[in-house]
Amino acid sequence: MTFAARRLAAVLSVLLPFAPLASPVMAQGVQRQPAPRNAMVYFHYPLDGLRVPERFTVRIGLKEMGVAPAGIDRPGTGHHHLLIDTDPGPPDQPIPSDYNNIHLGNGQTEVVVTLPKGTHTLQLLLGDHTHTPHRPPVMSQKITVYVR
Amino acid sequence: MRGLRRHIIVGVTAVFAASMSVGLAQERTRARSPAPTGAKLSFVDLQNNARIASKATIRFAISGMEIAPAGTARRNSGHHHLLIDTELPPLGQPIPSDFNHLHFGGGQSEAEILLSPGRHTLQLLFADHDHVPHDPPVVSEKITVEVMAAPEEKPRTAAAANARVFFIGLQDGAVIPPRSVVRFGQENIAITPAGTKQDNAGHHHLLVDTELPPLDREIPSDFNHIHFGRGQTETELSLPPGEHTLQLLFADHEHVPHDPPVMSQRIKVRVASAASPPSGTAPPARTASGRTPAPNDAAVYFIYPRDGTRIFATSTIRFGLRNMGVAPAGVARPNTGHHHLLIDVPTPPLDAAIPSDLNHIHFGNGQTERKITLPPGEHTLQLILGDDQHVPHDPPIMSERITIYVGAPGKRRAR
Repeated sequence: MTFAARRLAAVLSVLLPFAPLASPVMAQGVQRQPAPRNAMVYFHYPLDGLRVPERFTVRIGLKEMGVAPAGIDRPGTGHHHLLIDTDPGPPDQPIPSDYNNIHLGNGQTEVVVTLPKGTHTLQLLLGDHTHTPHRPPVMSQKITVYVR
Repeated sequence: MRGLRRHIIVGVTAVFAASMSVGLAQERTRARSPAPTGAKLSFVDLQNNARIASKATIRFAISGMEIAPAGTARRNSGHHHLLIDTELPPLGQPIPSDFNHLHFGGGQSEAEILLSPGRHTLQLLFADHDHVPHDPPVVSEKITVEVMAAPEEKPRTAAAANARVFFIGLQDGAVIPPRSVVRFGQENIAITPAGTKQDNAGHHHLLVDTELPPLDREIPSDFNHIHFGRGQTETELSLPPGEHTLQLLFADHEHVPHDPPVMSQRIKVRVASAASPPSGTAPPARTASGRTPAPNDAAVYFIYPRDGTRIFATSTIRFGLRNMGVAPAGVARPNTGHHHLLIDVPTPPLDAAIPSDLNHIHFGNGQTERKITLPPGEHTLQLILGDDQHVPHDPPIMSERITIYVGAPGKRRAR
């Protein structure tokens, strides 16, 4: 195998996992709400790599969009979901509701969480009135916090 | 060109091989440091089957060898490792480093460890500068300890013997509307917010439809155990029609009841099914003032900027909201509202819709931040939450009026 071919293979293997995301035609079921291209959800607190106490407040920022409680169908709005130690599911499915997927269905922009000591990941994902992510999904980077 | 490419491949492979060989080196048996035959390792003052507290200091003794910090290669020396609930690791390689294999690479000869209640095994293993056990291995006997089930309860905060808490204007057997304000008081004991440690002081908890929780630990926080951690002495309570019980329980900075506990009698109230009940997800009830009610612990605040800071002319103002949610204008949901940013204006009348102009910016789509441009100089900013009709809540949810400065520092002092 030449170097060039090996490199191509490497690039392909990196790209392949994202292939389903790149073809929204495959999305079935619910009609997903469009999101502005520069919309962004992010953490005011905590920041990536931070040490936090067991009980802390997650503060959520949202750029170029608005917050609306679940069930309110308004263009350019959604409600926050906090994903703890989990990956987002398929973007065309409603976000599950369990201990790892915390819904802020009343339009909250901050939430107090209590986590056991250790390393945890947090990620924010905006859902529309049916809890389904927008197109494209408005989600934050996955951050890591150390609960001490 | 082709030759160069091959060269790169060789180089890459070489680096790869080098890293592989480093990885393999840790798994391959290597020459172990010799240990003298008389070396002996043991626990100090800790017998087999001893009972210890969950937090205990374990001491180690080594004889016939010396302690040297990890990384210091010296004859007949090494450092301690404590193996918890695990067998001896393979002796030809470094001792793993995890919760079951504690390293004392600084040369410590004691450690404070925390164990869960139950039986645990402990064993000491000495190892050289590379964490590899000696040859023959210097190891203690494996002992079993029993950790007692956390008997050490936290000392409870003392309360005066005559301290008491009580409901104000609410008797046993009273009939109350579905949404009513419950007031409570205390005597001979001080109110401090949660987190503030002080003898004979604490904050209220209202127990709704529930038995007393265990008095030696933190009061749970849920719908049945309402905390008033900011020192509130009243709350608006929404209860479905029917019989309910209410009880007050005072607790200290860590939400643990006092010693002796300070609590009220458990009273029974009956909630009348109101003729025009505003309930469930229906539009929130209006208070006597006609304004939408808001939780009395809700607050709106500036995440950015902070009071008294200097900002760029074009800055993003970010809003924070505690204990309420955001909803677009026109959406009537309990405990929600939308933000209004007031620039360089006094607080408007609280019983009317917030004006809409350049100084009163409405965020009717539920936005929680906005990029604004201000002329140089001093400005004031304030946030007010408005309900679906842009009217402030009752009580009004508004931030402090903060002062910020725009432009170069010199401008501020200009006359």
